[in-house]
Amino acid sequence: MSEERLTRPDIAEMAVSYALPRKSGELVFHTEWERRAFAIAVSLAVQGQFEWSEFQQQLIESIAEAERGDPQNPSRGYYESWLVSLETVLRKKRILP
Amino acid sequence: MSEHDPDHDHHHDAPASPYHRSARPAERDKALAERVEKIESLLIAKGLVDKAALDKLVDIYENDLGPLNGARVVAHAWVDPDYRRRLLNNATAAIGELGFGGLQGEHMVVVENTPQVHNVVVCTLCSCYPWPVLGLPPTWYKDAAYRSRVVIDPRSVLTEFGTTVDDDVEVRVWDSSAEVRYLVLPERPAGTEHLSEDQLVKLIDRDSLIGVKKVLVS
Repeated sequence: MSEERLTRPDIAEMAVSYALPRKSGELVFHTEWERRAFAIAVSLAVQGQFEWSEFQQQLIESIAEAERGDPQNPSRGYYESWLVSLETVLRKKRILP
Repeated sequence: MSEHDPDHDHHHDAPASPYHRSARPAERDKALAERVEKIESLLIAKGLVDKAALDKLVDIYENDLGPLNGARVVAHAWVDPDYRRRLLNNATAAIGELGFGGLQGEHMVVVENTPQVHNVVVCTLCSCYPWPVLGLPPTWYKDAAYRSRVVIDPRSVLTEFGTTVDDDVEVRVWDSSAEVRYLVLPERPAGTEHLSEDQLVKLIDRDSLIGVKKVLVS
């Protein structure tokens, strides 16, 4: 599916950006939980609960883990890896159990 | 949402876009939504986040940050040679002059396209991307397909985006990371000498700032 999307970015993306025009050009969140998970991580980093680089490093690890089998078919999606990273950082920083 | 038939089975976490084809089964989505809800309510109880602030934050990222900011930076560099110099020397500061900065906008480097060099940006490890000037990255930017292939065979990937780069032009691929985030300064198209800065802004789109497309006169 990712191959197809890359081959035809014109078609794959046009529908979305035309359906809901935004300054960012594309609707990046597909579900409400993706939106919330994004906002929670950014909000806590802005407050200084953890360093953004710390979260990013965790995200790199989570994505690498998901792509270990077949990079073109990761075991979980991008925001799922984002959520795993958020949970891990919150645990490491003892913010949440 | 409001035009929904109230009798219709309404899912609170239904996809925001009718065009999205999700590979994720509904049960898994529900489980993920519950995990996020759990984190959110624990953090609310600790006073670390509140719903209104989170909504506001998302609104900023969805509606205020985006490639329009990057387009303003580029158009300004096209019309003001001194600004262009400052942008190439210290991108973070020059972008800040126009009022753009913040998370993922630190350590910016601007790479300039010339008749000899075409630049394209990727983040091979995850999705590092200059939020203040481009907003959040498109789906394909986060895909393993783009992240691996653009490094190995950039010309083919550019062709898939409809971009032809002549054989005698060098293609440089820049790997964004937590340390450095790249923005492409595209070439100003010929025949735009008479356009104002605001008119130029309209020609510049996201893909040309990532480097997978050129700026064209429509």
